[in-house]
Amino acid sequence: MLNKKTLLLSSALILGLAGCSTGGGDKTSSSSNKGDVTLNIFQGKVEFKTQFEDLAKKYEEEHPDVSIKVQTVGGGNDYAGTLKTKLASGEEPTIFTVSGQTDIDQYRDRLSDLKDTKAADLAVEGALDNVKQGDEIVGLPVNLEGYGIIYNKKIFKDAGIDPASIKSMEDLKKAAETLDSQKDKLKLDAVFALAAKEKWVQGNHAANVFVGDDFKYDPKATYEAKDVPLKNSAAFKEYIDLQNKYSAQPVINLDYSQQVEELFSTGRVAMIQQGNWVYPTVEQMDPELAEKGIGIIPIPLNGEAKMPVGVPSYYVVNKKADEKQQKAARDFLDWMYTSDTGKEAVLSEFKFIPAYEEYDSSKIADPLSKEIYKYTQDGNTTTWVFQNFPLDWSDMFGAEVQKYLAGKSSWDDLVKEMQSKWSNARK
Amino acid sequence: MKNKDVMFWVFLAPVLLALGIVIIVPLIYGVYYSFTDWDGVNEAQFIGMENYLNLFSDKDFLNSLWFTFKFSVATVIIVNLIGLGLAMLVTSYIKSKNLLRTIFFMPNLIGGLILGFIWQFVFTKVFDAIGRATGIEWMQGWLSDSTTGFWGMVILTSWQMAGYIMIIYVAYLENVPQDLLEAAEIDGANSFQRFRSITFPLVAPAFTVSLFLTLSHSFKVYDQNLALTNGGPYNSTQAVSMDIVNTAFQVNQMASAQAKAIIFFIIIAAISLTQVYINKKKEVEL
Repeated sequence: MLNKKTLLLSSALILGLAGCSTGGGDKTSSSSNKGDVTLNIFQGKVEFKTQFEDLAKKYEEEHPDVSIKVQTVGGGNDYAGTLKTKLASGEEPTIFTVSGQTDIDQYRDRLSDLKDTKAADLAVEGALDNVKQGDEIVGLPVNLEGYGIIYNKKIFKDAGIDPASIKSMEDLKKAAETLDSQKDKLKLDAVFALAAKEKWVQGNHAANVFVGDDFKYDPKATYEAKDVPLKNSAAFKEYIDLQNKYSAQPVINLDYSQQVEELFSTGRVAMIQQGNWVYPTVEQMDPELAEKGIGIIPIPLNGEAKMPVGVPSYYVVNKKADEKQQKAARDFLDWMYTSDTGKEAVLSEFKFIPAYEEYDSSKIADPLSKEIYKYTQDGNTTTWVFQNFPLDWSDMFGAEVQKYLAGKSSWDDLVKEMQSKWSNARK
Repeated sequence: MKNKDVMFWVFLAPVLLALGIVIIVPLIYGVYYSFTDWDGVNEAQFIGMENYLNLFSDKDFLNSLWFTFKFSVATVIIVNLIGLGLAMLVTSYIKSKNLLRTIFFMPNLIGGLILGFIWQFVFTKVFDAIGRATGIEWMQGWLSDSTTGFWGMVILTSWQMAGYIMIIYVAYLENVPQDLLEAAEIDGANSFQRFRSITFPLVAPAFTVSLFLTLSHSFKVYDQNLALTNGGPYNSTQAVSMDIVNTAFQVNQMASAQAKAIIFFIIIAAISLTQVYINKKKEVEL
């Protein structure tokens, strides 16, 4: 009796243990199976899944010998995990996406050289920095994204602040003080909304500005650095402290949706640190505000105000696919980014900031993206290097900032901790 | 007799096969990978015990183990007390007991992720609003420090599990023979004595099952954790499962995550089996 029950219970235990697994929400959409070459595209941007499939259909119509299968797996971690599963089970997509040097190293023997594509020729300056490997170019940028301090134009005007004049931390501080003193008149809850709950806001974006400077915003140098000097740590502290002082509280619990939807879109705060990706959200909340009422300025550092503009991910062509597929894949990517039909879709359907030259910038869909594209045309930008920080260093940074804001550790501790984590990871 | 033996294995075969494919084989693979430097894509190199040795200096893993341990102790006690309490309530002579059973069981039908988001709203919005309106300090700012994060998790899990555990207790409570209780009552035993000396020992098998279920459930908690606090603030409310998933899929250290999972498996198995063994010895057969 005892034995049987124990056995039963222990098998229940084992069964239960197996119960936790992650499920991915993947859907295959296949168009008609005609044609000689099949392109399997695997990508992670759910936002433009339908638009992308529509474009693929158009391509199939123009090129009857090619059929395209698009598979989209959405949301953060699922993409990388599913891609690994696919590769491990021998199902090799023809085109997939990578971001950062770590990905490139991991998939190195699968990445083919795209140097001879038309798109690679037309890529905007700096957009290929991450994918230059020796004299090969192994990826084509999907799009550009930029971030900075997004502000509410009307509130700034009512308070008499000219956003163009904010060029240094000192200016930003003055602006915050001015806004804070008129809080009641402007119907503000607070000046900032510091989303400290989202580790990536500090760990990726803010850190890119203040830590990236240590490496002159050079992705290679960042990837190879054995140590991180954090020489801007005082400025970084000032920036975090400033936001925290004038932010809606409690900051540790403030997440992305509260920051963007509840506080910024409703005009309860004047400034948030985010990027052009907030536009659709703001538009849903208040179309008029999104269309006319928001602008973006760079995060100031050492008296300079440069917009960090980067490439979140790159399309790569799989070397393990057969020669015919690889060629078709290169043709398709070229067509998507350089033909008129493709360009049109990239701007008005995908709503991307194009990472390529020869686009009509007046057709860029939203005001934030337009401003950011202008910065790239003026060359007044810095690149994104945070993808080349040691893996999870950004996450730890976000966690350490939370600790600091909660009063559980000092800024000096944070600096020491982050330096040692960097060195450990790069040993 | 021989025929019976064959039939025994025939009936068992599908289960054994399924168990083998989805549990045993992956487990063996997992043990193998935990001794390598596998990153999920490239060929694995055998590196011996390194992954396991590194775990002892992995602060995040040790913290999450300690958090999970504390969390499990608190959850097991609270869930079983509430579960037993509810079970006694719905087996007593109150009128709406069938309706109450349904209501108490309901939270268990909602998935952990959704519950997490619902309670996140309750803690950060409702609690906060009440706290501000009445000036009660401890109700404000929930989930923004490690203490409220911890208790938030405990409250959520208890709320979800209590109804389920209640059902188990109800089944056993209803099997307690009324004549024994009546006899005791006639002999002058008060209600506490009746519970302690008759009901409690007869319900003991339910404790074995319930403790086992709550223990293993709270050790493996993941979705509630993900939805409610996502490990924050500063990773102080990160349970082991979450640490393992993050190591595997955020940092790409599949092998190291696998080593953590094996250690975790051994710990859970040891604790659960010990608990079952001890409880079993205390049960009485009617």
